[in-house]
Amino acid sequence: MPADDTPLHIEVFIQASNKETFMSGYILTLATIMAINAIAACGLNVIVGFAGQISLGHAAFFGIGAYAAALLATKAGLSFWAALPLVVLLSGIIGLLLGLPSLRVREDFLAITTIGINFIVEAVFNNFEWFGGALGIGGIPRIVLFGIKLRNEAFFVLVLAALILVMLFCWWLTRSWAGLACFALREEETAAASIGISPVRFKLLAFVIGTAMAGLAGAFYAHFMRFISASDFSFPISVSMLSMIVLGGIGTLWGPVLGAVILGILPELFRPLIDYRILFYTILLLIMIRFQPGGLLGETSAVRRLFNRWIPVPAP
Amino acid sequence: MNPMLELDRVSKSFGGLKAVDSVGFRIEPREIFGLLGPNGAGKTVCFNLISGVFPPNEGRIFFDGMRTDGLPSHRMAKLGLGRTFQIVKPFSNVSVLENVVAALGIQRYDRLTAIWSNRKEWSIRTKAMELLEQVGLCDIAHRKAGLLPLGNLRRLEIARALAVGTKLILLDESFSGLRHEEILQLEALVRQIRDAGRTILLIEHNMKVAMGLCDRIVVLDHGRVLAQGKPEEIRSNPAVIEAYLGKQGESHAA
Repeated sequence: MPADDTPLHIEVFIQASNKETFMSGYILTLATIMAINAIAACGLNVIVGFAGQISLGHAAFFGIGAYAAALLATKAGLSFWAALPLVVLLSGIIGLLLGLPSLRVREDFLAITTIGINFIVEAVFNNFEWFGGALGIGGIPRIVLFGIKLRNEAFFVLVLAALILVMLFCWWLTRSWAGLACFALREEETAAASIGISPVRFKLLAFVIGTAMAGLAGAFYAHFMRFISASDFSFPISVSMLSMIVLGGIGTLWGPVLGAVILGILPELFRPLIDYRILFYTILLLIMIRFQPGGLLGETSAVRRLFNRWIPVPAP
Repeated sequence: MNPMLELDRVSKSFGGLKAVDSVGFRIEPREIFGLLGPNGAGKTVCFNLISGVFPPNEGRIFFDGMRTDGLPSHRMAKLGLGRTFQIVKPFSNVSVLENVVAALGIQRYDRLTAIWSNRKEWSIRTKAMELLEQVGLCDIAHRKAGLLPLGNLRRLEIARALAVGTKLILLDESFSGLRHEEILQLEALVRQIRDAGRTILLIEHNMKVAMGLCDRIVVLDHGRVLAQGKPEEIRSNPAVIEAYLGKQGESHAA
């Protein structure tokens, strides 16, 4: 059994040398990462899928959550549970502050602005000594619940519980007035404004909810990896998060989760082709956009049609 | 009594183009008021100024006694102004019913606590169905809005405007692209809305419809007020005839 302060990748290496625990440890690590990504992707889905505001900088807020959790744990000595509300709140507030100027522009310009946010946040983590600089932050403690240090299955169950809560929140959002206001904005901003929906307010609301969820995911990521550095939150991570929701089904409830699972498994299956991963992602995205623009779970998708053939949808 | 809407020398330019040039008119409560003019006369720009899509460069706008120029669209909606769009703007990916429900949320969108409550309550649904009944879209309430033909989308926009516009309703060419019998139904609906106590301002290309429906009319041309008065006065106004048909002899040259 590795010592408690061993960073995750070394731990996996040690486990790998121990054949019996290797498979379960490997799969559990993969599953936990997928669940963390799914939480972040749900947040991105609120911004892009519900409110229709493109964001290519979601990893920045994932990183802000991770760094906030790491710093509160290592420098301030707070427990995970005491830090968690602060982390989520902080991510949301930074989301609000960065969203306020960004959301004044639309579409392509918003995409470029959010890319810019991603690079700036990454550069800040990388260059300020206070954030650990290029060395990152190590020695992040494990999460302790009822005096027990959570690892392996227990950690996975905790992340899964958080994912379920996030999905319940998203589900509630789709039924609320706030959700409908976001959908209306996504469809027709001018018309939405003409029925009393303030575009700025509801775009910001979606942005704050989405970035807070990214922050939550980041907190789990920091305590899971136990060592983080700026490159964990670089622009390609934002692209892969966007790929998850495009692949799974943008604006649907389960789409981000399905996308996170598929894009979690595929790179592992195609490990020999790792050099061509980006090429593969690109081709996958192009195929999706060409043939299934709504994603795998989108309204007119092949999967949904097949599903509906067997289980007819009752009239709403 | 205050006029329902008053424009006082309102101007708007885009770059070097004066789209609306010192336009002024007053609309009394419970009036059906027509805004007419050839293409590019500045009618839709006027609508956008009144409903707050963009602010005027000069001039003042009063809505129900309150100065409202510069207020954004969602504030105007809250004050009781509903509108439709010349190029229809439905919320395509949600149902017809949800389109109207969205408009019925008008009292909640500015209260941070109310926006979290469930919108699928019975009273809202009943009210939305009533509005759809009024415009004759009851049967297809659960269809996806994006799949409807133009005529139905125009009615859907009217239903949305009805949900919001408790005082004034702006109809931007809501009759265009409709069949004759559909036009008759909508004309009846507009009169019925007026009789229920609301004011209506409409842009219309179909002269017959406009003349038959409106109490008073303003004609715009090149952003300016060309004529103003009752339908019969407008009909015989030489400036109006010239703006629509061109000067005598010009049609041969063209």
